[in-house]
Amino acid sequence: MKFIRVNMSNKTIKVDDVPEKYEGLGGRSLTSTIVNEEVPPKCDPLGPENKLIFAPGTLSGTTMINTSRISVGSKSPLTGGIKESNAGGTIGAAVAKLGIAAIVIEGKAPEGEFHLLQIDIDGNVALSPAEEYKGMRTYKTVEGLLEKYGKKNSVMCIGPAGEFLLKSSSIQASDVDGRPCRAAGRGGLGAVMGSKGLKALVVAQGGKEKAPVADPERFKKAVKEIIDAIKEDPFSGQVMPNLGTAALVAPVNSMGGFPTYNGRQGVLEGWEKISGEAIAEIIKKRGGNTTHMGCSQCIIHCSNEYVDEKGKYVTSSLEYETIWAIGGMSGVVDIDTIAQFDFMCDDIGLDTMNTGVAIAVAMDSGYREFGDKKAVIEMTEEIAQGTEFGRILGNGPASVGKHFNNPRVPVVKNQSIAAYDPRALQGNGVTYATTPMGADHTAANLVGAYIGQQLDPLSPEGQVEASRNLQYTMAVADATGMCMMAALSLLSPEASEAFRSAISAKTGKEIKPEDFPSAMGIQIIKTEKEFNRKAGLTNKDDRLPDMFTKEPLPPHNTVFKISDEELDLTFNF
Amino acid sequence: MKVNVKVYGTLRDKFPDYIDSTGIEIELPEGATVHDLLSNLKISESQGAVVTMDYRILKNDFSIPKNAEVQVLQTVHSG
Ligand code: SF4
Repeated sequence: MKFIRVNMSNKTIKVDDVPEKYEGLGGRSLTSTIVNEEVPPKCDPLGPENKLIFAPGTLSGTTMINTSRISVGSKSPLTGGIKESNAGGTIGAAVAKLGIAAIVIEGKAPEGEFHLLQIDIDGNVALSPAEEYKGMRTYKTVEGLLEKYGKKNSVMCIGPAGEFLLKSSSIQASDVDGRPCRAAGRGGLGAVMGSKGLKALVVAQGGKEKAPVADPERFKKAVKEIIDAIKEDPFSGQVMPNLGTAALVAPVNSMGGFPTYNGRQGVLEGWEKISGEAIAEIIKKRGGNTTHMGCSQCIIHCSNEYVDEKGKYVTSSLEYETIWAIGGMSGVVDIDTIAQFDFMCDDIGLDTMNTGVAIAVAMDSGYREFGDKKAVIEMTEEIAQGTEFGRILGNGPASVGKHFNNPRVPVVKNQSIAAYDPRALQGNGVTYATTPMGADHTAANLVGAYIGQQLDPLSPEGQVEASRNLQYTMAVADATGMCMMAALSLLSPEASEAFRSAISAKTGKEIKPEDFPSAMGIQIIKTEKEFNRKAGLTNKDDRLPDMFTKEPLPPHNTVFKISDEELDLTFNF
Repeated sequence: MKVNVKVYGTLRDKFPDYIDSTGIEIELPEGATVHDLLSNLKISESQGAVVTMDYRILKNDFSIPKNAEVQVLQTVHSG
């Protein structure tokens, strides 16, 4: 496999074999190892010493279903620690099929200069000026790039938010229809890409470099078993293809854990109007698509295409976390406004969660009323315009809280929580506090364990262990390039065994059943924690803000009950 | 006894005349459990169905009180 280093300071490109020390790693395990090895931990995340790494998973480019995710790793300007944020779409598979294990962006172009990095079907890598795309939003950028280089390319790019170096900026990835609506959203990685002077990455699809599989027969068998497990699971086989992630609006409100009005209550009045069921009905009535394949090799199709009253495309995919950030946190019970916000964030290149929660903190501070639809759109547009307040907002909830002297800021390591209140889903609070990534639901979301009655969401019992174990599993999934919807359907002993078998068959190195997934997960998280420690983060950064430990959340009127000592036991290595 | 049931997820497809605002009104014997309720609705647990009431997930042997308002949901792992 090839290993590409691009130096943006002197515009040099080096293509080598994967260095021995990185062999066998992929996705999050590769990006986190490179960051820990090569990035000076105390460096300025937006300076030349930081690196931005793109790496498909170890299973990307193979016949394994749902493995087109690409991990993007760096030191985060938002959290000050290590970051891995992964995106779906088509680029993960495209990069892997060209036989590329990683693209490492180093150095920094002179301020104001922007470039494109293009990898063609023969694996040739070239940098070229991107003057004409400077300041451009992502939909127009991708449209222009696909017109120039051809539709059979995958794009990852930044929008104005990344160019302004804002801490909520995302890197957007094109979906199967060539729209930049998939995102490596978290941690402000768009700003790192902007600081390097890289506007977009364009990669040819359809490469013929077959990802080497050590034991093809065993791999084939494991793929089949995984397909069967995904189809049989009602979550991935029925709910996701029909309702997408928006299906969570009903259960999380029914558990009293839907953070509403900047976390002042756990149930949103009128949530039925923005539920997955309601959205599916609206989409059907208007002639959109309730189910849609967002990423290469997907067999679940959790995506959708939301359209307006005239049937015209508004956005894809309208997801649960975005619905919550505006519907719940900002109190806007209007699905058309939420969809417009989603499109704007993708187009400006913004994390919908960090941005929606920043708007909610501004509303909580009295800047505008909760539920003000017009304000949501106007405030988001201010970010794109780069106004003074737009920049405060675009730097996320902590920046807004500081501006208004409002301590009610639901973040960990400056990154906003997701759509599960830690006072009503205690284990998700353990995840927010202890993952090296800052508050992040994808690191270990225990909502399925609560609904499936394996764990009581309100009791502190067993939460640390459950979060820890799932964090190991998710770290392994993030290393393989497998999407979360598929990985979470492989938790049964049989399906987990098929997943272990697939990874062993791919690499030719047998993973012992007792080591899967824990030993692999520990290795990844240990590396990430080591970087964070060297960067200056301590146990004190692994805490939830006071609003969760001091303010009881209706309707259960509970607070987050896991002690600091217990949190520190999550990863005591 | 009467129980009002709201149904979510793909389980709704079982009830073609379902109206979101009113849900379904069903008649159950007093002391009926969550298990009895799901059987009455012909929903199998293999569809990932769970029942909530007053913002809590109910165990299968929980006796539903009369005039209860419950929600039948499906397991979802992440968003
Ligand atoms: S399930 Fe959704 S996120 Fe996963 S690969 Fe399919 S479309 Fe992409």
